[in-house]
Amino acid sequence: MLSRVAESLYWMARYIERAEDLTRLLAVNFNALLDSKPADAKRGWEAVVGINGDDPLFTELHTEANAQSVSRFVFWEPLNSNSVVSCITRARENARGVREQISSEMWEAVNRLYFLVRDTKRANEFSNPIDFFELVRDRAQAYQGITSATMTHGEPYQFIRLGLHLERADKTARILEGKYHYLNLFSKSPAETSLQLIALLRSCAAFEPYRRASGGQLSAEKVVEYLLLDHEFPRGVLFCLNRCQRTLDAIGEDPTVPVRPDSPRRVLGRLNADLEYLDIHDVLGENMDPFLSKFLTRLNSIGDEIARTYFNTSVILPDERPRQQQQQQQ
Amino acid sequence: MFSSPGKPRPHYRVLRDHLQTMTAEMFAERRRVADAAFLYQGITFTVYGQEQGIERIFPFDLVPRIIPRAEWSHIEQGVAQRVQALNLFLHDIYHDQRILREKLIPPELVFSSRHFRREMMGLNVPKDRYVHVVGTDIVRSDDGQYYVLEDNLRSPSGVSYMLENRQVMKRTFADLFGRYDVQPIEHYPQELLNTLRSVAPHEYSDATVVLLTPGIFNSAYFEHTFLARQMGIEIVEGRDLVAHQNKIYMRTTRGLKLVDVIYRRVDDDYLDPLNFRQDSALGVAGLLNAYRAGNVTIANAIGTGVADDKAVYAFTPQMIKFYLGQEPILNNVPTYLGWREKECDHILNNLDKLVVKAVNESGGYGMLVGPHASRDDREKFKEQVRASPRNYIAQPTLALSRHPTLLEDGLSGCHVDLRPYILYGDDVVVVPGGLTRVALRKGSLVVNSSQGGGSKDTWVLRD
Repeated sequence: MLSRVAESLYWMARYIERAEDLTRLLAVNFNALLDSKPADAKRGWEAVVGINGDDPLFTELHTEANAQSVSRFVFWEPLNSNSVVSCITRARENARGVREQISSEMWEAVNRLYFLVRDTKRANEFSNPIDFFELVRDRAQAYQGITSATMTHGEPYQFIRLGLHLERADKTARILEGKYHYLNLFSKSPAETSLQLIALLRSCAAFEPYRRASGGQLSAEKVVEYLLLDHEFPRGVLFCLNRCQRTLDAIGEDPTVPVRPDSPRRVLGRLNADLEYLDIHDVLGENMDPFLSKFLTRLNSIGDEIARTYFNTSVILPDERPRQQQQQQQ
Repeated sequence: MFSSPGKPRPHYRVLRDHLQTMTAEMFAERRRVADAAFLYQGITFTVYGQEQGIERIFPFDLVPRIIPRAEWSHIEQGVAQRVQALNLFLHDIYHDQRILREKLIPPELVFSSRHFRREMMGLNVPKDRYVHVVGTDIVRSDDGQYYVLEDNLRSPSGVSYMLENRQVMKRTFADLFGRYDVQPIEHYPQELLNTLRSVAPHEYSDATVVLLTPGIFNSAYFEHTFLARQMGIEIVEGRDLVAHQNKIYMRTTRGLKLVDVIYRRVDDDYLDPLNFRQDSALGVAGLLNAYRAGNVTIANAIGTGVADDKAVYAFTPQMIKFYLGQEPILNNVPTYLGWREKECDHILNNLDKLVVKAVNESGGYGMLVGPHASRDDREKFKEQVRASPRNYIAQPTLALSRHPTLLEDGLSGCHVDLRPYILYGDDVVVVPGGLTRVALRKGSLVVNSSQGGGSKDTWVLRD
């Protein structure tokens, strides 16, 4: 299939997933931070901003992190390219360019989501923010369901799944990192810690699944292990990366070009293996921060390799192939 | 439909009787079904220069146009003859220019055409085919004769409406449809693909054909996606293609794929920023070189617009005689060229009786319908014609045939034209039908969709 089409589908899926994850994060934090002490609430909201690494822009626009400023920034801010509004707008733009490839139900669903957000007045949103965020989250989730149920599961669909799972793995890891970095997750009193852990789990839609899987124990160690390494939880990092791997296997690569050492499948395979055999005790405590930031860098490079392999094919011209190969061997 | 008031032509009797049994409510109901079908399938076109609601449904009229077999054969042979002659003309002017040397057409007229491309001189195209897809606009006058208004040789649009109109008609008027022996048109996309394959640069059994679109903002984008889907080929934008060592590739997820034939719906000017308009982002840098090297076929060929220049059109009968040694089967509409001093005077003195057209415009833009125009408009046009006579032609307003059409307040006779689509690969293929466009304003002579016209299904009978 055409690279442009694949790229549009991939980003459409990533943007919708990003919008869903951020909206959930806002809804959960509205709920959780109502119970917190003011100082903790402020740090909690700072953590939400920090999850996308958009802190510099936030401090330019707002003096203090609170429920209003953060939800305005994370949900509504047009200058913030990661805001939910920006994500939904760009998802729709991508969908528009590939209308022939997606089902009409999908097009209708992404349009409805777009108009819901566009036509909602902010004032209205502040009177009942949680309901509104949950409605947007539901619509985004419905979109995923419609996609899976109405679109042929061929190559175009695989690119949607690839974008979706990569984004999801990224968001779960970032939420974990943000909570850890801002809240110093493991050095609080037990009561505070469990409050934070519950918020963390809820931010990843993992609270109930974790409860069931862990037999009721709530410990930082187990929560981190669950979010990173569980094989069945659909927002777990390893789970998502396994799905990416399967998708890449299904898509395959240009058979006429020798496999590059940094092909997406290889890069992803190495990351998967590292996670699969990870001893969770090695990364807890002080090692957590460096581990997660290194992990996110590696995840980013997978995105870059996907773009390089599937979307920017003009760099590998047929008669330049041997030369390129040589360069790589040197 | 009627030969004289109240007397329908024989092949219309069944339709007339059928319409008479229908109440206004029945019409309304079927109209609702038809409109919903168009809306639901997103069969739309885009109107430029209007801020709101740029995507519109192409208005569809429920009353079909019926053409008996004998009449159709005449049209079919006539357009086939024209397309062959026009194709030979294009080959000639980009090679030996015999017709110019024999002074049958003034050379200045050809060389001053905006669509003449020097880049095409001496270039050989596969099977000497320049025009692979043609839409010829035909009107029937009150003398019962068919006249050719113009031949669209660049990238004629509307064929998707011909196909969709038939689908909707079968759905809404199945009962009536069953009472006529109508020839099918559904094989058009297959014929188009065969035609495009037949002009591949090499004798591939599986040439890669793509459709090149300017993108989602183009007025005919619906048609582009429709045809690509029906043919099962990729629809590409300029940025999906890349030229390398005089070959054209498309960028796919499995690397670059060689492209053999480009059915382009992008104008010459925008095809290749290295050779034509440098500011074009719609084309492919290096496409012309690949074309000249014979590694890719462009359909229609570059530079075909010189033959649908409205001033060159006036010479089509001469071309038919010169290249084919035949008499034209279909007549041209008598045409006055602003370019000729005497005829220009005639145009200027009779503006109130003539239709004046800019030679390079289409879609109903740049024209003046003299008898219906205001004094001011006529004066304005006079100035324009005086300023650049080469750019204008004029034709008498024909008494165009009218056809029953369903308007807000019931049936009334509206002016129609007909655009059959002609394919020219190994042979000439004309699918029996075409797009009948209808002026949906009472008395209006302008049928173009961009000017508020609509369309109807066109039935060619088997016997």
